[in-house]
Amino acid sequence: MNAYSGLFKMTFKGELQYRAKAISGMTTQLFWGIMYIYLYTAFMGGKIIEGFSVSQMASYIWLGQAFFVLRYVELPKKCGKEIENGDVCYKFVRPVDLYNQWFFEHLGYKLSATLLRFLPITVVAFLLPKSIGLSAPVSFTAFLLFLISLLIGAVLMSALSMIVVYLTFKTMSPKGTSTIVQTISGLLGGFFIPLPLMPQAVQTILNYLPFRYIADLPLRIYIGNIGVQSALMYIGISLLWLIGLVVIGKLLLKNALKKTVIQGG
Amino acid sequence: MSNIIQFNNICKDFKISVRKKGIKNALIGFFKREHKTIEALKNVSFEIEEGDIVGYIGPNGAGKSTTIKIMSGILTPTSGSCSILGFTPWKDRKQYVSNIGVVFGQRSQLWWDVPIIDSFELLKDIYKIPNKEYEETLNELIETLNLKELLNRPLRQLSLGQKMKCELAGSLLHRPKILFLDEPTIGLDAVTKLAVRDFIKEINKKWGTTIILTTHDMSDIDALTNKIILIGRGQILYKGSFSAIKHKYDRIKQIEVEFKEKYDKIEFDGYEVISHNQNMAVLKNLPETTFNTKDFINEISKKYEVVDFSVKSISVDEILAQLYTELKL
Repeated sequence: MNAYSGLFKMTFKGELQYRAKAISGMTTQLFWGIMYIYLYTAFMGGKIIEGFSVSQMASYIWLGQAFFVLRYVELPKKCGKEIENGDVCYKFVRPVDLYNQWFFEHLGYKLSATLLRFLPITVVAFLLPKSIGLSAPVSFTAFLLFLISLLIGAVLMSALSMIVVYLTFKTMSPKGTSTIVQTISGLLGGFFIPLPLMPQAVQTILNYLPFRYIADLPLRIYIGNIGVQSALMYIGISLLWLIGLVVIGKLLLKNALKKTVIQGG
Repeated sequence: MSNIIQFNNICKDFKISVRKKGIKNALIGFFKREHKTIEALKNVSFEIEEGDIVGYIGPNGAGKSTTIKIMSGILTPTSGSCSILGFTPWKDRKQYVSNIGVVFGQRSQLWWDVPIIDSFELLKDIYKIPNKEYEETLNELIETLNLKELLNRPLRQLSLGQKMKCELAGSLLHRPKILFLDEPTIGLDAVTKLAVRDFIKEINKKWGTTIILTTHDMSDIDALTNKIILIGRGQILYKGSFSAIKHKYDRIKQIEVEFKEKYDKIEFDGYEVISHNQNMAVLKNLPETTFNTKDFINEISKKYEVVDFSVKSISVDEILAQLYTELKL
């Protein structure tokens, strides 16, 4: 087995140790899901806004809650502590690319946290009445494209998180950096407000940023708000973003590491 | 034997921002930062031969950890060149580090929340260790370090001593040619310390691993190393055998004398009075005086009435303390 799948598996195993965390996370997400749905139901007043119906909105919110962990950009879990206290030096003494070490650890963490949470939320959401629950995907093709774009989105999220690692090296403030990035990426990606409810002009701008391809695109494909043809085009764009962000992230990290000072003796 | 590590005129500067005290200065500092350059290493050169156990010692802040970090490819020096096993650590990092093992006594390389054995398996993948070799090495390490019981427990449940044993094993799974140990015995109890020392010696003997260790525990140095490099304020002050230094200071004796009556003041030619309390005094011979029991007792009896006395050689720790004071570190 190779080092990266090993790192990936390790994070997965680590995450499996914390049952209570997964259960409390799920409870919170169920609560938020219902709250969001009532909020936006009231807001939409039963109307269809730009081809976005109330039941589509409910499905959008539930999928968003089920795949919650994959949808926001943050600093890799242990990375902040490692940089702050200097444990990061062990990453340097391994014959593995530094960028890849964090990248795969982070992706492993995010995917394992998702795998432990998404199923119960999806099941509960399916059992709810149609107006506030999760509906089936519009077509099999849409479902397939949803899965593909969800995975690409997850990898894209990891690539963006690596830029947060760079920023943390620069600012030495893991918490602050992570909070700012989480908020910005959440707002621009449709994490807080479903993007179809945003003004058309704003949506056009957001198409040019990477964030919506992580948190918004897969859900819109699932509910049929984005057709198969546009879906393919958008998936193509997110792949381009992925390549670009990995290249930029690697260059930035290389630059930051040249000037590294290990803290704490 | 050939040189495995060659360090030539390595310098390392750090830029730190200066903060003055007080609210006003803190506010000014918020907008305008002043920087100061600190020279952590100044023209450090040394060489280490294959199969040696070298103690890298010096007071806190002397530059020990900085040197270890340069040698293990973590930091890039400001200037100078270095060749270890034919590699330049900070340039050929990825190929180079599969030949070395590093243990930082105050940090952990194993994964916090999974059983130790899982961490080892991952290291096996990271270092691409062939199955057979891995099994062999692991069994050997389990036996020498007595790890059997610990393997299935997560790191967070282990005591400091158990943790250190696992860290050592983890850093040796890929049979590195060089092992860097940064304060490996810090915080360990006496028994574990001895076990760790024995282990380090055994590895050196059995596998021929070159070992470089930093420590503040002088008995470590005494028990383990055949050579020391002494560093202070970023400069190399001494390279060579530890016994030479020990020999130099071995001549200094401390003599505790008990007198029959209380003297107000004790004075004795060629000796320094370290402490004096009622009818007890501790003396030390000055560097130019050679201590000799017979002469000492003859001379001192002429001046004072002595009831009892005992002679003590100064300890390894004291030798170093003395050395540090002499070199004004």
